[in-house]
Amino acid sequence: MSSAEWQILGLTLRTAALATLLIVPPGLAMAWLLARHRWRGKSLVETLVALPLVMPPVATGLLLLELLGRRGPLGGWLHRTFGLDIVFTWRAVVVAMMVMSFPLLVRAARVAFEEVNERLEQIARTLGASNTRVFFTITLPLAARGVAAGLLLAFARAVGEFGATILVAGNIPGRTTTLSLAIYNLVQLGRDADAFRLLGVSVLIAFAAVWITEAFLRRRT
Amino acid sequence: MSVVLRDVVLPLTPFTLDVSIDFSARTTALYGPSGAGKTTVLELIAGLRRPRSGHIELGGRDVTRLPPRLRRVGYVPQDDALFPHMTVRQNIFYGARDDGASVIDVLEIAPLLGRGVRQLSGGERKRVALARALVTRPEVLLLDEPLSGVDVALRDRVLQYLQRVLTELPIPTIYVTHQMEEVRALCEEMVILERGSVVRALRLE
Amino acid sequence: MRFLLALLLAWPMGAAEVRVLAAASLTEALTEIAADYEKSSGDRIVFHFGASSLLARQIEHGAPADLFLSADEVQMDQLARKRLIDASSRVSVLSNTLVIVVPRSGGQAITHARELAGRRFASVALAEPSSVPAGVYARRYLMKLGIWAQVAPKVIPTDNVRGALSAVAAGNAGAAIVYKTDARISKAVRVAVEISRSEGPAISYPFALVTAAARPREARRFLDHLRSAAARAVFTRYGFDVLR
Repeated sequence: MSSAEWQILGLTLRTAALATLLIVPPGLAMAWLLARHRWRGKSLVETLVALPLVMPPVATGLLLLELLGRRGPLGGWLHRTFGLDIVFTWRAVVVAMMVMSFPLLVRAARVAFEEVNERLEQIARTLGASNTRVFFTITLPLAARGVAAGLLLAFARAVGEFGATILVAGNIPGRTTTLSLAIYNLVQLGRDADAFRLLGVSVLIAFAAVWITEAFLRRRT
Repeated sequence: MSVVLRDVVLPLTPFTLDVSIDFSARTTALYGPSGAGKTTVLELIAGLRRPRSGHIELGGRDVTRLPPRLRRVGYVPQDDALFPHMTVRQNIFYGARDDGASVIDVLEIAPLLGRGVRQLSGGERKRVALARALVTRPEVLLLDEPLSGVDVALRDRVLQYLQRVLTELPIPTIYVTHQMEEVRALCEEMVILERGSVVRALRLE
Repeated sequence: MRFLLALLLAWPMGAAEVRVLAAASLTEALTEIAADYEKSSGDRIVFHFGASSLLARQIEHGAPADLFLSADEVQMDQLARKRLIDASSRVSVLSNTLVIVVPRSGGQAITHARELAGRRFASVALAEPSSVPAGVYARRYLMKLGIWAQVAPKVIPTDNVRGALSAVAAGNAGAAIVYKTDARISKAVRVAVEISRSEGPAISYPFALVTAAARPREARRFLDHLRSAAARAVFTRYGFDVLR
């Protein structure tokens, strides 16, 4: 692999790792809310959370572009208040990855939380534990493997993100060209051999992620 | 410390639980056939379930709206519910309000402290679950069929432990069972529950 | 069931459909020309607009097409070398001029292209400068000015020239180099600098019949129409220069 290709791989892995890290607090919180509680509007929220999974990624990308562009409601505010630009920068790559991976993490974590015996959480409460303490000492540790599997899946999805990324982050070499975008570029230019090499890298990452995920899930308590 | 259920109503299937009970003795048995609603009564006292209507009082305080962690109730469920990912020591001291020395002594579980929960026998699990509840210094102890699932050979031993606990640590206790011999061995009063209603309450000598 | 199947298979054979792969910058002009043409000829024209480089790749990969209307000679040459277009039908019909556009509200002032190298412009949107004609023209011009090295790191490459236009229209890029004809499409941008024909690159739009055309006769008819006085008037109205 050339140094440019290493750079692309590095950018992809760094942004995917950051994106995965950033969705942990909201993702686990949402998963817990969906797993353990009944509340008004729950079905609506469930559906909204699942949307990026089902919508065409470019459609999601378009929404993000409208939202985060300089003239958009959120993007405009960020630009005016902090001088921060999102669109066409690595930040947009991270945002696109976060949005696309979030539902995967929520799904996996929710299942993991649901599998924790509620009885144990109840007993912990009678022993004086607050909801937060119950979550961190009982629910999360017992759901750890399922949650870890969810994180891996979310990471792999982030690495493979294309549709939303290309719209909201653009395809700027050195700045926002991720692994998937690089493959796309190479195919457009007819550089098949190079494209296949990067394809191999993608497959390796995806394979490793799913393999480890399955291993985690198989050895659940 | 008294536990009072006043006009507590909770629809279950296939009947509705509707009880008013005054648990004022040291140890009261909550006796009845399976499915009568005995576990539900304990859950209501512990705060794990809310009544449709009525009041629950602990030591004169109305705790009906209070979450479980604010009620000083020690609940030992039928299935122990020990935390499988923690050691015995971590389980016992999860909600501890004192150093647990006397409890560990009475129940003779010092040698078990370092073990993982999965390595315990049935009888040992019961003792650990009991210790865990006691170490929080509860104002009332709720025991749900503590001898169920214990080997016949071990029942007497566990029964002895229970007797020791109930004599040496004077905490008002509600003891759910459907075995008359346990009632006679341990309890001063008995409330008989059938299909969600109290059919009799009596003192035992 | 069989009736439906027959209907499905028979469908494409109905009205004669001419498939035209055309450069993105020709979108509005061609759409108008085709609308009139369809009324008089009875043929249906189906367009696929995009970057000429992408369209050429698609033709190479066997995408169905009857006509190829490219924004530069390079793409047409590539297809000609592979005998994918009918060389005898090839004709260069139009020219264009490059302009620098900035957002209409809040855009930086600029009087000459070399100011793009300066710090006031943090981002410059171009159609992909290595392959898409509009981007290639722009790059050649910037190289001629000797400022490509300074501008290149600021470039936001887009898939086609309209993408560069949108980026400026949305305020996400400080400036873009697009065709004069594109700038007229969007009200959210204004033309800050027009790069004259003598200063800028020679822009040429070649049109040709695709060798594997499914409808060569109808395609040729439309191609001839594109060179007619009526079509020329439309092109001129949209700002294109017509080559003799």
